[in-house]
Amino acid sequence: MTTAFDGRPVLRHVPRTRMALGTLGMIALLAGLWAALLMLGLDVPTPRPDFAEVHGPLMVLGFLGTLIALERAVAIDVAVGYLTPAAAGLGGLALILGLPLTVGQSLLAAAGVGLVGLYVAAARRQASLHLAVMAAGAVAWVVAVCLWLAGRDVALLVPWLAGFLVLTIAGERLELARVIRVTGTARATFTGAVAVFATGLAVSVVAVSAGVRVAGIGLLALAAWLGVHDVSRRTIRQPGLTRYMAACLLTGYGWLATGGALWLRFGTLSDGPAFDAMLHALFLGFVMSMVFAHAPVIVPAVFRAAVPYRRHFYAHVALLHASLLLRLVGGDLVGSRTAWQTGGVLNEIALLCFIAVTVTAVVQGRRHPRSALARRATRSLTAAASARAARS
Amino acid sequence: MHVIELMFGEPTEQSVTELLREVIDPELGINIVDLGLLRGVAIAPGGAVRIVTTLTTPACPLGPYITEQITDLLSQVTTISHVDVEVVWSPPWDPDRDMTDQAKQLLGWRG
Repeated sequence: MTTAFDGRPVLRHVPRTRMALGTLGMIALLAGLWAALLMLGLDVPTPRPDFAEVHGPLMVLGFLGTLIALERAVAIDVAVGYLTPAAAGLGGLALILGLPLTVGQSLLAAAGVGLVGLYVAAARRQASLHLAVMAAGAVAWVVAVCLWLAGRDVALLVPWLAGFLVLTIAGERLELARVIRVTGTARATFTGAVAVFATGLAVSVVAVSAGVRVAGIGLLALAAWLGVHDVSRRTIRQPGLTRYMAACLLTGYGWLATGGALWLRFGTLSDGPAFDAMLHALFLGFVMSMVFAHAPVIVPAVFRAAVPYRRHFYAHVALLHASLLLRLVGGDLVGSRTAWQTGGVLNEIALLCFIAVTVTAVVQGRRHPRSALARRATRSLTAAASARAARS
Repeated sequence: MHVIELMFGEPTEQSVTELLREVIDPELGINIVDLGLLRGVAIAPGGAVRIVTTLTTPACPLGPYITEQITDLLSQVTTISHVDVEVVWSPPWDPDRDMTDQAKQLLGWRG
Protein backbone atom coordinates (compact mmCIF):
# COMPACT_ATOMS: atom_id res chain seq x y z
CA MET A 1 0.00 0.00 0.00
CA THR A 2 1.36 3.36 -1.03
CA THR A 3 0.52 6.51 0.87
CA ALA A 4 0.42 10.13 -0.17
CA PHE A 5 2.76 12.47 1.66
CA ASP A 6 0.07 13.32 4.18
CA GLY A 7 -0.29 9.64 4.97
CA ARG A 8 -3.61 9.00 3.21
CA PRO A 9 -3.77 5.73 1.31
CA VAL A 10 -3.64 6.32 -2.42
CA LEU A 11 -4.10 2.81 -3.77
CA ARG A 12 -7.74 2.23 -3.17
CA HIS A 13 -9.33 -1.13 -2.85
CA VAL A 14 -10.00 -2.83 -6.16
CA PRO A 15 -13.22 -4.77 -5.65
CA ARG A 16 -12.43 -8.45 -5.76
CA THR A 17 -15.57 -9.01 -7.82
CA ARG A 18 -14.09 -7.07 -10.74
CA MET A 19 -10.82 -8.97 -10.58
CA ALA A 20 -12.67 -12.30 -10.37
CA LEU A 21 -14.88 -11.41 -13.34
CA GLY A 22 -11.90 -10.20 -15.35
CA THR A 23 -10.18 -13.50 -14.58
CA LEU A 24 -13.18 -15.45 -15.87
CA GLY A 25 -12.94 -13.46 -19.11
CA MET A 26 -9.23 -14.25 -19.37
CA ILE A 27 -9.85 -17.97 -18.80
CA ALA A 28 -12.39 -17.92 -21.64
CA LEU A 29 -9.84 -16.17 -23.87
CA LEU A 30 -7.11 -18.70 -23.15
CA ALA A 31 -9.45 -21.66 -23.64
CA GLY A 32 -10.80 -20.03 -26.81
CA LEU A 33 -7.27 -19.68 -28.16
CA TRP A 34 -6.58 -23.33 -27.34
CA ALA A 35 -9.69 -24.35 -29.24
CA ALA A 36 -8.44 -22.23 -32.14
CA LEU A 37 -5.22 -24.28 -32.29
CA LEU A 38 -7.42 -27.34 -32.79
CA MET A 39 -9.34 -25.56 -35.54
CA LEU A 40 -6.06 -24.74 -37.23
CA GLY A 41 -5.49 -28.49 -37.41
CA LEU A 42 -2.49 -28.47 -35.07
CA ASP A 43 -1.59 -31.57 -33.15
CA VAL A 44 -2.32 -30.35 -29.63
CA PRO A 45 -4.05 -32.28 -26.84
CA THR A 46 -7.80 -31.74 -26.64
CA PRO A 47 -9.98 -32.08 -23.55
CA ARG A 48 -12.87 -33.39 -25.68
CA PRO A 49 -13.27 -34.36 -29.35
CA ASP A 50 -15.70 -31.49 -29.96
CA PHE A 51 -13.79 -28.85 -27.97
CA ALA A 52 -12.94 -26.80 -31.09
CA GLU A 53 -16.64 -26.04 -31.60
CA VAL A 54 -16.79 -23.72 -28.57
CA HIS A 55 -14.05 -21.44 -29.98
CA GLY A 56 -16.46 -18.82 -31.35
CA PRO A 57 -18.83 -18.60 -28.37
CA LEU A 58 -15.87 -18.55 -25.97
CA MET A 59 -14.08 -15.72 -27.77
CA VAL A 60 -17.15 -13.56 -28.44
CA LEU A 61 -19.31 -14.19 -25.36
CA GLY A 62 -17.05 -15.80 -22.75
CA PHE A 63 -14.17 -13.38 -23.27
CA LEU A 64 -15.44 -10.17 -24.92
CA GLY A 65 -19.00 -10.57 -23.62
CA THR A 66 -17.83 -10.87 -20.02
CA LEU A 67 -15.50 -7.88 -20.32
CA ILE A 68 -18.01 -5.66 -22.16
CA ALA A 69 -20.70 -6.53 -19.60
CA LEU A 70 -18.22 -5.80 -16.79
CA GLU A 71 -17.40 -2.45 -18.36
CA ARG A 72 -21.10 -1.55 -18.49
CA ALA A 73 -21.68 -2.78 -14.94
CA VAL A 74 -18.85 -0.52 -13.74
CA ALA A 75 -20.33 2.45 -15.64
CA ILE A 76 -23.84 1.85 -14.25
CA ASP A 77 -22.37 1.11 -10.81
CA VAL A 78 -25.27 -0.82 -9.29
CA ALA A 79 -24.37 -4.05 -7.43
CA VAL A 80 -26.95 -6.20 -9.23
CA GLY A 81 -25.41 -5.15 -12.55
CA TYR A 82 -22.40 -7.37 -11.86
CA LEU A 83 -24.62 -10.46 -12.20
CA THR A 84 -24.48 -9.89 -15.97
CA PRO A 85 -20.71 -10.33 -16.43
CA ALA A 86 -20.84 -13.08 -13.79
CA ALA A 87 -23.40 -15.04 -15.85
CA ALA A 88 -21.34 -14.53 -19.01
CA GLY A 89 -18.10 -15.58 -17.33
CA LEU A 90 -19.67 -18.64 -15.70
CA GLY A 91 -21.35 -19.52 -19.00
CA GLY A 92 -17.92 -19.51 -20.61
CA LEU A 93 -16.55 -21.65 -17.79
CA ALA A 94 -19.41 -24.16 -18.23
CA LEU A 95 -18.50 -24.48 -21.93
CA ILE A 96 -14.84 -25.05 -21.06
CA LEU A 97 -15.59 -27.65 -18.40
CA GLY A 98 -17.85 -29.60 -20.74
CA LEU A 99 -20.95 -29.35 -18.54
CA PRO A 100 -24.18 -30.16 -20.38
CA LEU A 101 -24.34 -27.61 -23.21
CA THR A 102 -27.65 -26.16 -22.02
CA VAL A 103 -26.00 -25.03 -18.76
CA GLY A 104 -23.52 -22.78 -20.56
CA GLN A 105 -26.10 -21.69 -23.10
CA SER A 106 -28.65 -20.76 -20.42
CA LEU A 107 -26.08 -18.74 -18.44
CA LEU A 108 -25.02 -16.93 -21.62
CA ALA A 109 -28.66 -16.25 -22.55
CA ALA A 110 -29.26 -14.81 -19.07
CA ALA A 111 -26.15 -12.64 -19.45
CA GLY A 112 -27.40 -11.29 -22.80
CA VAL A 113 -30.72 -10.36 -21.21
CA GLY A 114 -28.82 -8.79 -18.31
CA LEU A 115 -26.80 -6.67 -20.73
CA VAL A 116 -30.01 -5.39 -22.34
CA GLY A 117 -31.08 -4.51 -18.77
CA LEU A 118 -27.86 -2.55 -18.17
CA TYR A 119 -28.52 -0.47 -21.30
CA VAL A 120 -32.10 0.15 -20.19
CA ALA A 121 -30.71 1.39 -16.85
CA ALA A 122 -28.32 3.71 -18.72
CA ALA A 123 -31.10 4.97 -20.98
CA ARG A 124 -33.22 5.83 -17.93
CA ARG A 125 -30.46 8.25 -16.96
CA GLN A 126 -30.12 9.68 -20.44
CA ALA A 127 -31.72 8.13 -23.51
CA SER A 128 -29.97 8.39 -26.87
CA LEU A 129 -29.58 6.83 -30.30
CA HIS A 130 -26.12 5.47 -29.51
CA LEU A 131 -27.43 3.64 -26.42
CA ALA A 132 -30.24 2.16 -28.52
CA VAL A 133 -27.66 0.85 -31.03
CA MET A 134 -25.55 -0.71 -28.27
CA ALA A 135 -28.70 -2.26 -26.76
CA ALA A 136 -29.50 -3.70 -30.20
CA GLY A 137 -26.06 -5.31 -30.01
CA ALA A 138 -27.05 -6.94 -26.70
CA VAL A 139 -30.27 -8.16 -28.33
CA ALA A 140 -28.16 -9.75 -31.08
CA TRP A 141 -26.27 -11.61 -28.33
CA VAL A 142 -29.58 -12.92 -26.94
CA VAL A 143 -30.75 -14.00 -30.41
CA ALA A 144 -27.44 -15.80 -31.05
CA VAL A 145 -27.75 -17.85 -27.87
CA CYS A 146 -31.46 -18.54 -28.44
CA LEU A 147 -30.67 -19.92 -31.92
CA TRP A 148 -27.97 -22.06 -30.33
CA LEU A 149 -30.39 -23.30 -27.66
CA ALA A 150 -32.82 -24.14 -30.45
CA GLY A 151 -30.19 -26.48 -31.88
CA ARG A 152 -28.69 -24.37 -34.66
CA ASP A 153 -25.11 -25.05 -35.64
CA VAL A 154 -22.54 -22.63 -34.16
CA ALA A 155 -21.61 -21.39 -37.67
CA LEU A 156 -25.17 -20.14 -38.14
CA LEU A 157 -24.82 -17.96 -35.03
CA VAL A 158 -21.94 -16.03 -36.59
CA PRO A 159 -23.98 -13.14 -38.03
CA TRP A 160 -25.58 -12.54 -34.63
CA LEU A 161 -22.33 -12.85 -32.70
CA ALA A 162 -20.88 -10.32 -35.16
CA GLY A 163 -24.01 -8.23 -34.62
CA PHE A 164 -23.35 -8.06 -30.90
CA LEU A 165 -19.81 -6.73 -31.34
CA VAL A 166 -20.35 -4.55 -34.41
CA LEU A 167 -23.41 -2.78 -32.97
CA THR A 168 -21.74 -2.31 -29.57
CA ILE A 169 -18.70 -0.72 -31.21
CA ALA A 170 -20.75 1.31 -33.71
CA GLY A 171 -22.84 2.75 -30.86
CA GLU A 172 -19.72 3.77 -28.99
CA ARG A 173 -18.22 5.44 -32.05
CA LEU A 174 -21.46 7.33 -32.76
CA GLU A 175 -21.39 8.58 -29.19
CA LEU A 176 -17.85 9.84 -29.57
CA ALA A 177 -18.51 11.31 -33.01
CA ARG A 178 -20.69 13.92 -31.30
CA VAL A 179 -17.53 15.83 -30.43
CA ILE A 180 -16.95 16.58 -34.11
CA ARG A 181 -20.51 17.75 -34.65
CA VAL A 182 -22.52 14.99 -36.28
CA THR A 183 -25.14 16.53 -38.53
CA GLY A 184 -28.68 15.27 -38.99
CA THR A 185 -27.68 13.79 -42.33
CA ALA A 186 -24.75 11.93 -40.76
CA ARG A 187 -27.02 10.49 -38.06
CA ALA A 188 -29.50 9.44 -40.74
CA THR A 189 -26.82 7.67 -42.81
CA PHE A 190 -25.52 5.95 -39.66
CA THR A 191 -29.01 4.74 -38.80
CA GLY A 192 -29.46 3.57 -42.39
CA ALA A 193 -26.21 1.56 -42.29
CA VAL A 194 -27.21 -0.05 -38.97
CA ALA A 195 -30.68 -0.84 -40.34
CA VAL A 196 -29.23 -2.56 -43.44
CA PHE A 197 -26.86 -4.60 -41.24
CA ALA A 198 -29.66 -5.59 -38.83
CA THR A 199 -31.92 -6.54 -41.73
CA GLY A 200 -29.16 -8.81 -43.03
CA LEU A 201 -28.93 -10.53 -39.65
CA ALA A 202 -32.68 -11.15 -39.56
CA VAL A 203 -32.75 -12.46 -43.15
CA SER A 204 -29.80 -14.80 -42.42
CA VAL A 205 -32.04 -16.88 -40.12
CA VAL A 206 -34.21 -17.95 -43.05
CA ALA A 207 -31.97 -17.35 -46.08
CA VAL A 208 -28.30 -17.62 -45.14
CA SER A 209 -26.67 -16.40 -48.32
CA ALA A 210 -28.94 -13.42 -48.93
CA GLY A 211 -28.85 -12.41 -45.26
CA VAL A 212 -25.06 -12.55 -44.98
CA ARG A 213 -24.69 -10.53 -48.18
CA VAL A 214 -27.08 -7.82 -47.00
CA ALA A 215 -25.26 -7.73 -43.64
CA GLY A 216 -22.02 -7.34 -45.64
CA ILE A 217 -23.46 -4.24 -47.34
CA GLY A 218 -24.30 -2.93 -43.86
CA LEU A 219 -20.72 -3.56 -42.70
CA LEU A 220 -19.33 -1.74 -45.74
CA ALA A 221 -21.67 1.18 -45.12
CA LEU A 222 -20.64 1.35 -41.46
CA ALA A 223 -16.96 1.24 -42.41
CA ALA A 224 -17.51 4.09 -44.87
CA TRP A 225 -19.41 6.10 -42.25
CA LEU A 226 -16.65 5.60 -39.69
CA GLY A 227 -14.01 6.46 -42.27
CA VAL A 228 -15.73 9.79 -42.87
CA HIS A 229 -17.12 10.73 -39.45
CA ASP A 230 -15.01 9.02 -36.82
CA VAL A 231 -13.02 11.24 -34.51
CA SER A 232 -9.87 9.16 -35.06
CA ARG A 233 -9.30 10.98 -38.36
CA ARG A 234 -8.68 14.10 -36.29
CA THR A 235 -7.01 12.55 -33.26
CA ILE A 236 -4.39 10.73 -35.37
CA ARG A 237 -2.59 14.10 -35.42
CA GLN A 238 -2.26 14.13 -31.62
CA PRO A 239 0.76 12.58 -29.88
CA GLY A 240 1.20 9.51 -27.69
CA LEU A 241 -1.69 7.37 -26.51
CA THR A 242 -4.27 9.39 -28.44
CA ARG A 243 -2.45 8.75 -31.71
CA TYR A 244 -1.94 5.07 -30.87
CA MET A 245 -5.69 4.68 -30.29
CA ALA A 246 -6.51 6.48 -33.53
CA ALA A 247 -4.04 4.30 -35.47
CA CYS A 248 -5.65 1.13 -34.07
CA LEU A 249 -9.13 2.43 -34.88
CA LEU A 250 -8.35 3.46 -38.46
CA THR A 251 -6.65 0.15 -39.32
CA GLY A 252 -9.59 -1.60 -37.67
CA TYR A 253 -12.00 0.22 -40.00
CA GLY A 254 -9.92 -1.05 -42.92
CA TRP A 255 -10.56 -4.61 -41.72
CA LEU A 256 -14.25 -3.83 -41.18
CA ALA A 257 -14.48 -2.79 -44.83
CA THR A 258 -12.53 -5.90 -45.87
CA GLY A 259 -14.87 -8.07 -43.80
CA GLY A 260 -17.93 -6.38 -45.32
CA ALA A 261 -16.59 -6.95 -48.84
CA LEU A 262 -15.94 -10.63 -48.07
CA TRP A 263 -19.42 -11.10 -46.55
CA LEU A 264 -20.94 -9.52 -49.65
CA ARG A 265 -18.79 -11.50 -52.08
CA PHE A 266 -19.11 -14.96 -50.52
CA GLY A 267 -22.33 -14.89 -48.46
CA THR A 268 -21.63 -18.24 -46.85
CA LEU A 269 -21.59 -19.73 -43.37
CA SER A 270 -20.03 -23.02 -44.41
CA ASP A 271 -16.53 -24.05 -43.37
CA GLY A 272 -13.76 -23.24 -45.81
CA PRO A 273 -11.19 -20.57 -46.71
CA ALA A 274 -13.85 -17.96 -47.57
CA PHE A 275 -15.59 -18.40 -44.23
CA ASP A 276 -12.25 -18.25 -42.38
CA ALA A 277 -11.41 -14.96 -44.09
CA MET A 278 -14.92 -13.52 -43.54
CA LEU A 279 -14.79 -14.32 -39.84
CA HIS A 280 -11.27 -13.24 -39.02
CA ALA A 281 -11.16 -10.01 -41.02
CA LEU A 282 -14.07 -8.94 -38.84
CA PHE A 283 -13.43 -10.54 -35.44
CA LEU A 284 -9.63 -10.30 -35.37
CA GLY A 285 -8.90 -7.40 -37.73
CA PHE A 286 -11.73 -5.10 -36.72
CA VAL A 287 -12.82 -6.15 -33.22
CA MET A 288 -9.37 -6.87 -31.80
CA SER A 289 -8.10 -3.54 -33.13
CA MET A 290 -10.85 -1.86 -31.11
CA VAL A 291 -9.82 -3.90 -28.05
CA PHE A 292 -6.14 -3.00 -28.51
CA ALA A 293 -7.08 0.67 -28.87
CA HIS A 294 -9.19 0.88 -25.75
CA ALA A 295 -7.41 -1.43 -23.32
CA PRO A 296 -5.10 1.35 -22.02
CA VAL A 297 -8.16 3.32 -20.87
CA ILE A 298 -10.70 0.58 -20.11
CA VAL A 299 -8.35 -1.47 -17.92
CA PRO A 300 -7.66 1.48 -15.58
CA ALA A 301 -11.37 2.29 -15.47
CA VAL A 302 -12.39 -1.24 -14.54
CA PHE A 303 -9.44 -2.50 -12.52
CA ARG A 304 -8.14 0.79 -11.09
CA ALA A 305 -4.64 0.13 -12.30
CA ALA A 306 -2.74 2.43 -14.60
CA VAL A 307 -1.70 1.16 -18.03
CA PRO A 308 0.87 3.81 -18.95
CA TYR A 309 1.24 4.17 -22.71
CA ARG A 310 4.42 2.74 -24.18
CA ARG A 311 5.58 2.98 -27.79
CA HIS A 312 6.05 -0.78 -27.93
CA PHE A 313 2.22 -1.14 -27.82
CA TYR A 314 2.52 -0.76 -31.60
CA ALA A 315 4.42 -4.07 -31.77
CA HIS A 316 1.48 -6.38 -31.01
CA VAL A 317 -0.73 -4.26 -33.25
CA ALA A 318 1.69 -4.64 -36.16
CA LEU A 319 2.04 -8.37 -35.51
CA LEU A 320 -1.73 -8.84 -35.53
CA HIS A 321 -2.19 -7.08 -38.85
CA ALA A 322 0.81 -8.73 -40.52
CA SER A 323 -0.17 -12.23 -39.35
CA LEU A 324 -3.77 -11.67 -40.39
CA LEU A 325 -2.63 -10.66 -43.87
CA LEU A 326 -0.51 -13.81 -44.03
CA ARG A 327 -3.47 -15.95 -42.97
CA LEU A 328 -5.99 -14.36 -45.33
CA VAL A 329 -3.79 -13.83 -48.39
CA GLY A 330 -1.23 -16.64 -48.11
CA GLY A 331 -3.64 -19.10 -46.50
CA ASP A 332 -7.24 -18.44 -47.52
CA LEU A 333 -6.62 -16.79 -50.91
CA VAL A 334 -3.52 -18.57 -52.25
CA GLY A 335 -4.31 -21.82 -50.45
CA SER A 336 -1.06 -22.46 -48.58
CA ARG A 337 -1.88 -24.51 -45.49
CA THR A 338 1.47 -23.53 -43.93
CA ALA A 339 0.73 -19.81 -44.37
CA TRP A 340 -2.74 -20.31 -42.93
CA GLN A 341 -1.48 -22.18 -39.87
CA THR A 342 1.51 -19.89 -39.35
CA GLY A 343 -0.71 -16.82 -39.69
CA GLY A 344 -3.22 -18.31 -37.25
CA VAL A 345 -0.59 -19.14 -34.65
CA LEU A 346 0.96 -15.66 -35.02
CA ASN A 347 -2.54 -14.16 -34.57
CA GLU A 348 -2.66 -15.95 -31.23
CA ILE A 349 0.83 -14.78 -30.31
CA ALA A 350 -0.21 -11.18 -31.07
CA LEU A 351 -3.16 -11.55 -28.67
CA LEU A 352 -0.97 -13.14 -26.01
CA CYS A 353 1.62 -10.36 -26.40
CA PHE A 354 -1.16 -7.83 -25.95
CA ILE A 355 -2.34 -9.60 -22.77
CA ALA A 356 1.24 -9.84 -21.46
CA VAL A 357 1.96 -6.16 -22.17
CA THR A 358 -1.31 -5.09 -20.53
CA VAL A 359 -0.92 -7.30 -17.45
CA THR A 360 2.70 -6.15 -17.03
CA ALA A 361 1.63 -2.53 -17.25
CA VAL A 362 -1.14 -3.17 -14.70
CA VAL A 363 1.27 -4.81 -12.26
CA GLN A 364 3.76 -1.96 -12.66
CA GLY A 365 0.97 0.62 -12.50
CA ARG A 366 -0.33 -0.84 -9.24
CA ARG A 367 3.15 -0.63 -7.77
CA HIS A 368 3.49 3.02 -8.76
CA PRO A 369 -0.08 4.29 -8.85
CA ARG A 370 -0.91 7.60 -10.49
CA SER A 371 2.72 8.57 -10.85
CA ALA A 372 2.37 9.61 -14.49
CA LEU A 373 -0.50 12.01 -13.82
CA ALA A 374 1.24 13.49 -10.78
CA ARG A 375 4.46 13.93 -12.74
CA ARG A 376 2.64 15.68 -15.56
CA ALA A 377 0.80 17.93 -13.10
CA THR A 378 4.07 18.78 -11.40
CA ARG A 379 5.65 19.65 -14.74
CA SER A 380 2.88 21.97 -15.80
CA LEU A 381 2.65 23.65 -12.40
CA THR A 382 6.39 24.24 -12.53
CA ALA A 383 6.04 25.68 -16.04
CA ALA A 384 3.19 27.95 -14.90
CA ALA A 385 5.24 29.18 -11.93
CA SER A 386 8.26 29.89 -14.16
CA ALA A 387 6.02 31.84 -16.53
CA ARG A 388 4.65 33.86 -13.61
CA ALA A 389 8.17 34.49 -12.31
CA ALA A 390 9.31 35.60 -15.77
CA ARG A 391 6.40 38.06 -16.02
CA SER A 392 7.01 39.66 -12.60
CA MET B 1 5.05 15.62 -5.85
CA HIS B 2 6.13 18.05 -3.19
CA VAL B 3 6.23 20.65 -5.91
CA ILE B 4 2.45 20.40 -6.20
CA GLU B 5 2.17 20.97 -2.50
CA LEU B 6 4.56 23.92 -2.44
CA MET B 7 3.21 25.69 -5.48
CA PHE B 8 -0.46 25.11 -5.07
CA GLY B 9 -1.15 27.03 -1.87
CA GLU B 10 -4.70 27.28 -0.59
CA PRO B 11 -7.08 25.83 -3.16
CA THR B 12 -9.23 28.30 -5.06
CA GLU B 13 -11.87 27.61 -7.66
CA GLN B 14 -9.48 28.89 -10.31
CA SER B 15 -6.42 26.93 -9.18
CA VAL B 16 -8.41 23.69 -8.90
CA THR B 17 -9.88 24.23 -12.37
CA GLU B 18 -6.41 24.87 -13.76
CA LEU B 19 -5.11 21.69 -12.15
CA LEU B 20 -8.01 19.70 -13.61
CA ARG B 21 -6.72 20.61 -17.08
CA GLU B 22 -4.28 17.80 -16.40
CA VAL B 23 -7.11 15.28 -16.57
CA ILE B 24 -7.25 14.37 -20.22
CA ASP B 25 -9.70 12.25 -22.17
CA PRO B 26 -7.08 9.93 -23.65
CA GLU B 27 -9.07 9.12 -26.75
CA LEU B 28 -9.47 12.76 -27.74
CA GLY B 29 -6.27 14.10 -26.21
CA ILE B 30 -8.29 16.99 -24.77
CA ASN B 31 -8.68 17.88 -21.10
CA ILE B 32 -12.00 17.70 -19.28
CA VAL B 33 -12.15 21.46 -18.73
CA ASP B 34 -11.96 22.25 -22.46
CA LEU B 35 -14.36 19.40 -23.21
CA GLY B 36 -16.86 21.12 -20.93
CA LEU B 37 -17.34 18.15 -18.64
CA LEU B 38 -16.59 20.16 -15.51
CA ARG B 39 -19.82 21.57 -14.10
CA GLY B 40 -18.58 23.15 -10.88
CA VAL B 41 -15.89 23.48 -8.26
CA ALA B 42 -16.81 24.28 -4.66
CA ILE B 43 -14.33 24.73 -1.86
CA ALA B 44 -15.36 24.53 1.76
CA PRO B 45 -13.35 26.09 4.59
CA GLY B 46 -10.73 23.60 5.67
CA GLY B 47 -9.89 22.58 2.11
CA ALA B 48 -12.65 20.12 1.26
CA VAL B 49 -13.17 20.26 -2.49
CA ARG B 50 -16.33 19.24 -4.26
CA ILE B 51 -16.21 18.68 -8.00
CA VAL B 52 -19.36 18.41 -10.07
CA THR B 53 -18.84 16.85 -13.44
CA THR B 54 -20.79 15.21 -16.21
CA LEU B 55 -19.82 12.59 -18.76
CA THR B 56 -20.61 12.35 -22.42
CA THR B 57 -22.98 9.41 -21.86
CA PRO B 58 -24.14 7.24 -18.90
CA ALA B 59 -22.63 4.10 -20.45
CA CYS B 60 -19.34 5.95 -20.98
CA PRO B 61 -16.60 3.45 -20.28
CA LEU B 62 -14.26 6.32 -19.49
CA GLY B 63 -16.52 7.67 -16.75
CA PRO B 64 -14.94 5.84 -13.83
CA TYR B 65 -11.47 6.50 -15.29
CA ILE B 66 -12.04 10.23 -15.40
CA THR B 67 -13.64 10.58 -11.95
CA GLU B 68 -10.83 8.48 -10.55
CA GLN B 69 -8.21 10.70 -12.18
CA ILE B 70 -9.83 13.79 -10.68
CA THR B 71 -9.80 12.26 -7.20
CA ASP B 72 -6.30 10.90 -7.61
CA LEU B 73 -4.86 14.20 -8.81
CA LEU B 74 -6.53 16.43 -6.23
CA SER B 75 -5.73 14.12 -3.35
CA GLN B 76 -2.05 14.69 -4.13
CA VAL B 77 -2.46 18.28 -2.94
CA THR B 78 -1.97 18.47 0.83
CA THR B 79 -3.94 21.71 1.17
CA ILE B 80 -6.97 19.79 -0.12
CA SER B 81 -8.32 17.82 2.81
CA HIS B 82 -11.08 15.93 1.06
CA VAL B 83 -12.19 15.37 -2.52
CA ASP B 84 -15.75 14.60 -3.46
CA VAL B 85 -16.68 14.03 -7.10
CA GLU B 86 -20.31 14.08 -8.10
CA VAL B 87 -21.43 13.04 -11.58
CA VAL B 88 -24.59 14.75 -12.81
CA TRP B 89 -26.62 13.95 -15.93
CA SER B 90 -28.76 17.03 -16.20
CA PRO B 91 -28.49 19.02 -18.34
CA PRO B 92 -26.97 16.47 -20.75
CA TRP B 93 -23.54 17.29 -22.14
CA ASP B 94 -23.91 19.28 -25.34
CA PRO B 95 -20.67 19.55 -27.32
CA ASP B 96 -21.71 22.73 -29.12
CA ARG B 97 -22.60 24.54 -25.92
CA ASP B 98 -20.08 23.02 -23.52
CA MET B 99 -16.80 22.64 -25.39
CA THR B 100 -14.39 25.57 -25.49
CA ASP B 101 -13.36 27.09 -28.81
CA GLN B 102 -9.92 25.59 -28.33
CA ALA B 103 -11.35 22.07 -28.07
CA LYS B 104 -13.59 22.65 -31.10
CA GLN B 105 -10.61 23.89 -33.08
CA LEU B 106 -8.57 20.80 -32.16
CA LEU B 107 -11.45 18.60 -33.27
CA GLY B 108 -11.77 20.42 -36.57
CA TRP B 109 -15.04 22.32 -36.08
CA ARG B 110 -15.53 24.97 -38.68
CA GLY B 111 -17.66 28.08 -38.52
